[in-house]
Amino acid sequence: MLSILINKELRAIVSSPKFVGAFVVCSILILLSIYTGIREYRVMSARYDAAALMVDQEIRQETSWGRMSTEVFRRPDPMQIFAAGLDYDIGRWSPVSNRGSAKLKNSAYSDDPIYSVFRFLDFSFITQFILTLFAILFTYNAVNGEREDGTLKLIMSNAVSRAKFLIGKCVGAWLGLVVPVTIPILLGFLLIMVFNVPLSSDHWMKIIFFMALSLGLFTFFIVFGVLMSSLARSSSISFLISLVVWVLAVMIIPRMGVMAAGNMVYVPRVAEIEGQLSGFAQSKWDEFMRGTEERWNKYNQSGDGVQLDEEKMWEIMQHEDSLHRAIEQEIMQHELKLREDLRQRKIRQEKLAFSLSRLSPVAAYQLGVMSLAGTGVDIKNRYEDAINNYRNEFYNFVQQKQDETGDNGKMMLAFTISDDGSQSMTMSGDRTTENLDISGMPQFMVPAVKFAEAISPATVDFGIIIFYIIMTFAGAFVAFLKYDVR
Amino acid sequence: MLRTLIEKEIRDLTGSTKFVITFAACALLIIAAFYVGAIRHKLSMSQFEASKDEQVRALEGITDWMDVNDIRVFLPPEPLAALVSGVSNDIERTAVITGRGDIPTEDSRYNEDPIYAIFRFIDLEFIFSVILSLFAILLGYDAISGEKERGTLRLTFANAVPKRTYIMGKLLGSFITLTTSIIIAILIGVLLLLILGFSLTAMEWLKLFLIIVAGLMFFGVFLSLSIFVSALTHRSSSSFLILLVIWVMLVHIVPRASVLLAARSVDVPSVDEIAYQKSTLAIQLGEEFREAMRNIEIPASANPSEDPMMKFNEYLDSLTNIRESKLNALSSRLREDRHNRQKVQENLAFTLARLSPVTLFSLAASYLAGTSIHLKDRFYDEAVAYQGDYGKFIKDKTGINPGGMLKIRASRSCSGGGGEEESQPEQIDGSELPAFAFSNDDFKGSFGSAIVDLGLLGILNLFLFAGAFLAFVRYDVR
Repeated sequence: MLSILINKELRAIVSSPKFVGAFVVCSILILLSIYTGIREYRVMSARYDAAALMVDQEIRQETSWGRMSTEVFRRPDPMQIFAAGLDYDIGRWSPVSNRGSAKLKNSAYSDDPIYSVFRFLDFSFITQFILTLFAILFTYNAVNGEREDGTLKLIMSNAVSRAKFLIGKCVGAWLGLVVPVTIPILLGFLLIMVFNVPLSSDHWMKIIFFMALSLGLFTFFIVFGVLMSSLARSSSISFLISLVVWVLAVMIIPRMGVMAAGNMVYVPRVAEIEGQLSGFAQSKWDEFMRGTEERWNKYNQSGDGVQLDEEKMWEIMQHEDSLHRAIEQEIMQHELKLREDLRQRKIRQEKLAFSLSRLSPVAAYQLGVMSLAGTGVDIKNRYEDAINNYRNEFYNFVQQKQDETGDNGKMMLAFTISDDGSQSMTMSGDRTTENLDISGMPQFMVPAVKFAEAISPATVDFGIIIFYIIMTFAGAFVAFLKYDVR
Repeated sequence: MLRTLIEKEIRDLTGSTKFVITFAACALLIIAAFYVGAIRHKLSMSQFEASKDEQVRALEGITDWMDVNDIRVFLPPEPLAALVSGVSNDIERTAVITGRGDIPTEDSRYNEDPIYAIFRFIDLEFIFSVILSLFAILLGYDAISGEKERGTLRLTFANAVPKRTYIMGKLLGSFITLTTSIIIAILIGVLLLLILGFSLTAMEWLKLFLIIVAGLMFFGVFLSLSIFVSALTHRSSSSFLILLVIWVMLVHIVPRASVLLAARSVDVPSVDEIAYQKSTLAIQLGEEFREAMRNIEIPASANPSEDPMMKFNEYLDSLTNIRESKLNALSSRLREDRHNRQKVQENLAFTLARLSPVTLFSLAASYLAGTSIHLKDRFYDEAVAYQGDYGKFIKDKTGINPGGMLKIRASRSCSGGGGEEESQPEQIDGSELPAFAFSNDDFKGSFGSAIVDLGLLGILNLFLFAGAFLAFVRYDVR
């Protein structure tokens, strides 16, 4: 009996004229999204390569370990084809410097604001805006439409239990809508292979889970349409209500949730933190400068007017240099503390914002796919942490090289006051001019998110969506049991 | 006759549950957009002020302008950006001014608070372009085909009603009802702005007024489009389906897809390619620079009051100037080239995107609000001009422009000095710095950019209005 009902529903959907239109539109859009995603990925990869070449060149041309610094660029990841998330909003590179911790700058959208006007078109967008809408379009009149046609009475006059009828409806609609959608998805995979996008098995696992999440959201809206159709008597009312709920779930609740949390949890601005920091650094350096002055005075006195010889000079400078580094360390520690505090606040704000937004399954979906693709809010911290670690490695290496070669990039200035009070000055340049031996220099490891790590946050959101599906289905069930079929 | 028909239409619409639900939802969202906008503007204003104060505080305790390495200038928040965000959250709002050379920028809002970038903000532009267009469809899709299904169309034409008068009544009636209800919601929103202490200049009020006019014209496009489609179909369910597909395409797909496809088909050198070229030259020049710096000797001068450090700094200044002018020549050439190609790219992408009325409205609104993609260039240009002023200022103060170069400073306290009283050096006064005054497009400029889109919206309105009219004249009312 159930299979007959499913069969009937399937046939009703597939043979309806709107099915053809919806199918064509969905297919084109899914393929379009994957195509533009691949293109953007390739453009971003080319940009990354150019940038990496530049960084490499700068390191190779450097002639002094004392001046050595570098930059790290974020490497594009093929998962952004499906869920671009915040990839285009977050800065693309950060300096690696001993003057401050990592800070990502220059997002793709700020480099080329033309792309930020209408933003990105990716698969997750198509799922949220298009597939959900089509799901409603096919199910808003699942029950009350049959009542209006009079067919509901007919079916119920046979020995069909209401439960079976409802299950038949949902399963039939699901099969009728989900199976066709998999066709363009498979074609999209083909497109990815044709364009030779480098995908590891890890990526494929993520993509499969991503598709499961997308189908989860799609299923929710199918069941939701059935729920509405068994709550309202007339299909025009159920459609209106579904559409209003759709607008709320897709466009309003996620935004409202984040904005409300933004007002509830105070997070100081980065500029504020940086202001505090620069104040701290300034006072430390002032102290250092005063100390240096005193020490030099002492050296001069101990030399008792006799000029210090050059070797002695270098020695003193080495000592000053180590003090200098100690202060750098101190400032760095202070900065880490301040930034950690900021981060904790941000995490609190995010937690609240996401809990509020997750009232809408669409937000749960978006958050889930972003954490799966590694393009969620944590992308910034992930990269900045990795860059900070790299910074330590990098400077340890540079320090070691400086100690080995005795080249700290410092220049020597000699300043003489003659007896007649006239002053003269000489300066000796670098000690080295050759390019450096950079073999063994630490390389930045891209903090990619492994499937195993991405799965747990994504599963939470998947669970939320499943929960919503079950709740709506239960709701539809209860509503239909009480439904007056006449 | 027309009057009766219009009255009937108004009464029909206002009496329907559909209207009540949608109007309530729209009104709430519009008011929310104004409220959120006012709150956000206050917040960004206070952040802007805090950043500026922070800049002044950073100069505290410094006793010589020579010690000032760089200063930051900030793009002030546009008041209307609260209602039409445009690119204002995407572009970087802090410029680091050193005195010469390229100006690095940082701190875009979405980069700083990525949490908002996930779902973005709700603003008036979003409400108009996404929500109100959907509701226009919802209220207009069954204007003709619905009456036909209910049989009222036949009844009406059993009387001596000319078709032209009927459709005019229909169109005008729905326009009047819906625009009036939106205007009421907007007026409440504006009142809320005033209550929340959101102050605008007369020019900005005028711009806001024009933005709202553009929004209503955009709404009109979708309303007449839905009546048009409804007069082409005989069943309201099919007219709705067609309209929904058109809505999805025009609102969500056409603008995004055309920018992504068209813009990428124009070859614009990326910032990374440019940075690569500049870095190649910079490395070469750096080598020359260091060569010139090796073993400098500043001979003793007979005049004891002359400071050899200063001479040294002047020497470095001249070296740096040579290096910078070479770098600048390359960088301005590359910038110019990129800029020209970006213009081509923008023209192509936006022309294609203008297939959708959403683009027309978005662009018009962002031009009027001063948050169009030109804001970035404008900020950069002003920062460059400021850097010139700043360089001059510092040169006046210290004798050289120390931006981006090595500086040598010596402390004045002498060893073994006699009993001379050392006077405490005076701190510099941060408020002496030239102020960064950002002026966005004036009314004429922004109106000039928006006029094309406003005009196109108007033409589209007339066109669809005429379409609906003609389609109904040939409509089979049975």
